[in-house]
Amino acid sequence: MARIELSGIQKKWGAIWGVRDVNIDIADEELIVFLGPSGCGKTTTMRMIAGLEDPSEGEIRMDGEVMNDVDARDRDVAMVFQGYALYPNMTIYENIRFPLRMRDVPKVDQDRLVREAAAMVELGDLLDRKPGALSGGQRQRAALARAVVRKPQVFLMDEPLSNLDAKLRQAMRIQIKHLQRQLKITTVYVTHDQIEAMTLADRIVIMEGGLIQQIGTPDEIYSDPANTFVAGFIGAPPMNLIEGRMEDGIFTAPSIRVEGLIRNLSGPVTLGIRPEDCHVAGAEAHVEGTVFGVEPTGDMTYLTINAGDALIEVKADRDYRSDLDVPETVAFDPARIAFFDTTSGQRIR
Amino acid sequence: MSDPALTETGAATAPAPTGIRRRRSKRMKTLFPYLLVAPAVIYLLGITLYPGIYAVVQSFYAVKFGPWRPVGFENYANLMGDYQFWGALWNTFVIGSISLTIQCVLALTLAFYAYRDPWVQGWRIIFLIPMLFMPSAVAFIYKLAFLDARVFSDILIRLGLIDGNLSIQSSIWGSRALLILADVWQWTPFLFIIFVAALQGQDEEVEEAARLDGAKWGQIFWNISLPLMRPVIAVALILRGIDITTMFANVFIITKGGPAFGTETISYFIYRTGFKFFNFGYASAASVIMLILTIIIAQLVVKRAFRSGRA
Repeated sequence: MARIELSGIQKKWGAIWGVRDVNIDIADEELIVFLGPSGCGKTTTMRMIAGLEDPSEGEIRMDGEVMNDVDARDRDVAMVFQGYALYPNMTIYENIRFPLRMRDVPKVDQDRLVREAAAMVELGDLLDRKPGALSGGQRQRAALARAVVRKPQVFLMDEPLSNLDAKLRQAMRIQIKHLQRQLKITTVYVTHDQIEAMTLADRIVIMEGGLIQQIGTPDEIYSDPANTFVAGFIGAPPMNLIEGRMEDGIFTAPSIRVEGLIRNLSGPVTLGIRPEDCHVAGAEAHVEGTVFGVEPTGDMTYLTINAGDALIEVKADRDYRSDLDVPETVAFDPARIAFFDTTSGQRIR
Repeated sequence: MSDPALTETGAATAPAPTGIRRRRSKRMKTLFPYLLVAPAVIYLLGITLYPGIYAVVQSFYAVKFGPWRPVGFENYANLMGDYQFWGALWNTFVIGSISLTIQCVLALTLAFYAYRDPWVQGWRIIFLIPMLFMPSAVAFIYKLAFLDARVFSDILIRLGLIDGNLSIQSSIWGSRALLILADVWQWTPFLFIIFVAALQGQDEEVEEAARLDGAKWGQIFWNISLPLMRPVIAVALILRGIDITTMFANVFIITKGGPAFGTETISYFIYRTGFKFFNFGYASAASVIMLILTIIIAQLVVKRAFRSGRA
């Protein structure tokens, strides 16, 4: 129910940059994920949307209205914190009711709304407990209920799942996405977990060093990375980045030779190829190296090839087995190869 | 050597190789920690438990210069009918509760306005200064300013607010107010420091969550910060409360319990009975009652505060 525009946002603490230059247009009802390593400015950007932090420069607009000077509590924004931030002195019921009480929702509606929100996250039978008596997942759901209960314009979620174990995290991920679709509330979700980002997002904003590296759908980010940072950050294992030279449509690096590529490139370039686009080859190989590591995971086998000075990750067949240090050849899927400028790291299209 | 359990059993069963010193015997090992703390424990028991027991025993005797004469519960029975004892209890309660309430409210208010201020965080030690003064020195300053040298009256006269000297000394409530004022001045900083620390220790995320939920600062304080501070407030009040129930120096120096016993606290009553009238058994009985009362009240406060203040 709200469109958020960030234009020219900067945040500086003394000489330290938090966020350098952020411009994002978040569509109504969109679920956008800020993804990046610790200290990349994603949480700071979210806190500026919330009003908990003031930008040093730039404008925050919601539905076209400038929000910079609007106090946090008047922005109609609900936030789910990493540490849940439930009120430890209140029961879960009182926790969920708190935003309603503070906003003078009529008493008659309060009870109904609280119970609706609790039912939405399946918390109905825990309403009399205090947060201290709940497990991590239950606390997380209580925090969610407290955020949805007053139907805010915007949801902000700051690494809400990072304190949960892997199994619970997946279950909660699905619940969050479902809830967001159901309520149709514009949502900003901050995480450093790429799986969360890929699975939840309508669009992902990848940040690093206070700058946006790329904005795009999960598909775009994965198959069409804008620079080597994005290529190396997304995917597990990430994209292989091989530094070499281009001449006459031929890419060469120690032990690596790829022919028949675009001819308008020459000089030093970085070749990027995803592990699943590499195949253990027979005759038509691009890489001739030795086996460095074999890691079967059950549904596939991670194969690492030592080629010259590079280690190349390959997602091999589940049945693939090999001794170490024996010669092996690998072929790339030519259609999936991406090139980056070796010095700037930017994609060459 | 990496596994302590192994080396322990090894040393106990196998004969020690020559040149390696045997570990301490098992018995010594269990005793050793107790030996280390023994001097401190003996010292503490000597200055607290021994006089305590001595006082309890003495409270069943009539002790006046001569040999002790056992009187059973006579001292206690007499105390029950002693209007001066009840008066002292009442005075202690009135002066103590008013003083404690004012200190607590003042300290909480100051802490609430100051705890996010970086200046306060850096300079909290400044607020401790009144506490660092010797209590008797503070008492003498108040005595000088309000009674003997009439500095306070003088200022009011010069400001044209009053015509003649205030006669604080002759008014029961005036004297009580003076004792309260001195206590509040000296001890509010103590509570302030404790409350500021408690507020600063609270999770900032919780506060931010409340802000986004639409709460104003005052609402956050009443609904969240204050309830979470209950255990801290309880401990602070008990510490201060015990201090105040034993209030002696200020009474001794400023008012001497007067006028008309109107500011005689229980400590002063005990002192007067013991060291002015040399009625030691009677004074001991009064202090035993006081001790029991204090323990009961402290227990009640602690229990209440911690049972429901739990997260």
